[in-house]
Amino acid sequence: MKNRALWATAAGTAAAALVLTGCTGSSEADTAGDGVVDVWVAFTDDARLGFVQEKAAEFEQKHEGVTVKVQGFDNYETLFQQMQLALDGGDAPEIVHYFEAATREALDAVGPDGEPVFQSVSAATGDRDEILGEPVVLDDVVAPAKNYYSVDGEFYSMPWNTSSTIMYGNQTMMDEAGIDAMPETWQDLEAACDKIAKLADGPEACITWPNHSWWMEQAMGQADTNLGNNDNGRSGRATEIDLDSDAMVDYLTWWQNLEKNGDYLYTGVQRDWDGTRAAFSAQQVAFLMSSSGDAAGIDEESADGGYDVVAGRMPYDADTPYGGNLIGGATLWLRSGLDEDTTDASLAFLNFFNNPENAAEWHKVSGYVPITNSAVDLLTEEGWFDENPNFKVASDQLALAADTPASTGVLMGNFVAIRDVITAAAEDILVQGDDVEERLHAADDEAQQLLDDYELLYSGE
Amino acid sequence: MLLILTVLAAALAAVVASRGRLHPLAGGAVGLAAASATTWTFAGCALGGDVTGDNTGVQRVLAVAAVVTVAAGVARTVAALRAGGGPAGEAMLTELRSGRFRTGAWLPWLLLAPTLAILAVFLYYPSFQTFALSTKLARMGAPRSADVCLGNFAELLVPSPYLVAGLPPAAVAVVAGLALWRSRTTPGTASHTAAAALSPLGPIATVVALYFVFAPGRTGYRGVYVATLGISFGIVALSMTAGLGLAYLVARRFRGASVYRTLLIWPYAVSPPVAGILFFMMFDPTAGVMAHLAGVVGLDFPSYRTDGVLAQAAIVLAASWKWVGHNILFYVAALQTVPREIVEAAAIDGAGAWRRFVRIVVPTIAPVTFFLLVTNLTYAFFDVYGTIDYLTRGGPSGRTTVAIYEIIRVGVGTGDLGRGAAQSVILFIAVIGLTVWQFRRSEGRITYGGGA
Repeated sequence: MKNRALWATAAGTAAAALVLTGCTGSSEADTAGDGVVDVWVAFTDDARLGFVQEKAAEFEQKHEGVTVKVQGFDNYETLFQQMQLALDGGDAPEIVHYFEAATREALDAVGPDGEPVFQSVSAATGDRDEILGEPVVLDDVVAPAKNYYSVDGEFYSMPWNTSSTIMYGNQTMMDEAGIDAMPETWQDLEAACDKIAKLADGPEACITWPNHSWWMEQAMGQADTNLGNNDNGRSGRATEIDLDSDAMVDYLTWWQNLEKNGDYLYTGVQRDWDGTRAAFSAQQVAFLMSSSGDAAGIDEESADGGYDVVAGRMPYDADTPYGGNLIGGATLWLRSGLDEDTTDASLAFLNFFNNPENAAEWHKVSGYVPITNSAVDLLTEEGWFDENPNFKVASDQLALAADTPASTGVLMGNFVAIRDVITAAAEDILVQGDDVEERLHAADDEAQQLLDDYELLYSGE
Repeated sequence: MLLILTVLAAALAAVVASRGRLHPLAGGAVGLAAASATTWTFAGCALGGDVTGDNTGVQRVLAVAAVVTVAAGVARTVAALRAGGGPAGEAMLTELRSGRFRTGAWLPWLLLAPTLAILAVFLYYPSFQTFALSTKLARMGAPRSADVCLGNFAELLVPSPYLVAGLPPAAVAVVAGLALWRSRTTPGTASHTAAAALSPLGPIATVVALYFVFAPGRTGYRGVYVATLGISFGIVALSMTAGLGLAYLVARRFRGASVYRTLLIWPYAVSPPVAGILFFMMFDPTAGVMAHLAGVVGLDFPSYRTDGVLAQAAIVLAASWKWVGHNILFYVAALQTVPREIVEAAAIDGAGAWRRFVRIVVPTIAPVTFFLLVTNLTYAFFDVYGTIDYLTRGGPSGRTTVAIYEIIRVGVGTGDLGRGAAQSVILFIAVIGLTVWQFRRSEGRITYGGGA
């Protein structure tokens, strides 16, 4: 009897060990030139994912033998994780859509083989003017986007949906309150809010915008203050973060006061794009700060709601010299380790996707900035901007920026997690009335820890 | 890695084998051996001197606590082994051996194999990985990871080794002292009554001690602890009392009772995120139905999203609503087992409806209540992520960030696998602790009927 128990134990152990080792084995990476360009996009809505699918179909018609397979994901975070899993599993796509905050991580990403996951589009293009008959548009990309996605002079990824933070105003309400023009500075905005507050049948609050770290980053750009050392991570890896700079304290103090006065409506949820926009379209606020990529949707809602919308710049502090606003949005990365045919097919698709006609169409569909200079020219010629002045605000605002590291935007590891730290601090300051300096100091410590961890794991220092 | 897996599989097989063939207590001994091995990985680095990161003192305290806990467990098992398992152990052994397969030992193993394989792959291996990850600084997709010993745990605790070392034993002392006082006094005396009245102080002391053990401040873990405690116990209390109340009403005979029953159980079929969306639609201060109705009557509907207490209440309400159907289901079944004769006899003796309910119905369904307590706690701890994500996203200011929400935010959202794993381990220990406490508390109070 004892022997049997022993045998059973041994057999069970062997079986379990076999099953478990089977699971840890990895399969070969899918880099074969099967003529399929997989494109993973972090959109699922018909307008935006539909646009990509449409362009993919057009491209396939133009180029026989090339298949472009588009797959949508719920959001950037999900796509980011799926990409990590796909790299381990070996079926990662050729082109992947990452948001700007993940740029450092995309540059640092290595596959199971220890090789970089992505290659630079400018290096892959070389000095070619066209690829598979598609004219190369890389040099034509508007400067703020090109600068953001360039590191050490190397243009790494093909920018796509690029926006900036702009302010939308309810023109009807502004007329009632006697506000002649869109407020351009904090001080203008405060004055305008006083007028809104005096309205007899006025809205619940003057203004709202999402509590998203992007605003803090924009405010640092406006105040020409770096978030990271080594020129905001542009001349070397950023290893120190500065969340409690005077500029940051000023901005959050201003915001906190706006909230205390009842001028700012906090929807109570972080990164609440939908809730803030709903408050604007329900006319609970006179002003909304949001992405320029929302312009098309906000115009539509205003038509339904029977009020006029006017767009203006993101307000800045008149008492601080203006640096510049930066871009937000996302970009298309090209995978490394592809064979030549697949690389060329992918590059051709990227350039086709951003050719003047397509870039202009994308801008009209969404409101994201026209990504190339020739697309801007095309739209100007068409008279699009004369008819739709709101669509020009973001490009104009970006053009005002001095080309400094602060207005280009920070490049920093673990920035997705650091953004969470920043928004959490802002929420405590708004909801709990925390002391701005103290709370930012705590956030700075927490974020520095995250950055140190990242640097330890990625650069070994 | 293969070595670890083989050891794990061997331990697993040995536990199962020993449970079936050897003395039941041997199984416990193997389990404890595995626990010691795990503790060793935790304690080895902290006691060995190569502690990394901050809070070195706290890490040492944690390591010592782990070693002491396992040592106590081993001592207890050894004591039980020397006592020969006692009549209970023998009875269990006889019961286990009463059924035999005629084909010999291989058939039961064959039949068990699929279950064992699934358990090993999907349960034991991931949990072992979680323990291993919790001692590392690891990120999804990072080219390397770093050992941080108990640093991930120390970060969550107050940065004072004295508090970490002192508070939990103080709580244990209070609990033990009260129990001792109670057992040494004779029932009926004033002293015993006082001891009995003071007995809730034990759990309270534990809760308070833990409050002070977790790191304070906006970026500390204490906020998560408070939110978890408030929301989880809110959910358990509300969904169980509401479940019992509704089940009691609907278990009576009346026209259309089955329709009511079906409708009441319905929300159970709704997934947690959908529950979140439903309550969002109702309570949303901008677009919600309730805000609209309040506006019609001329009332100002407060926003649950900027008020911490209201936000917690909204989560408790939504999560309880979703789960109350589960409780009704079990309580309706349990209420049918209450012997009608006893209830009738009590009624004839003049016991009122409330008295009959408290004195007869509640004790009779105690086993179901106990079962529900465990499942409800599990639900409140693990299944509320979707509801919270749709209602408040953990806000305002972290007031609805419960443990599981924070684990997913840290471990999955930001890809910080090590810290996420450390928090999972804490939740794991908390659930084990609560379950053990419930078992001990309810020992002797719950009768399952039959037997002696």
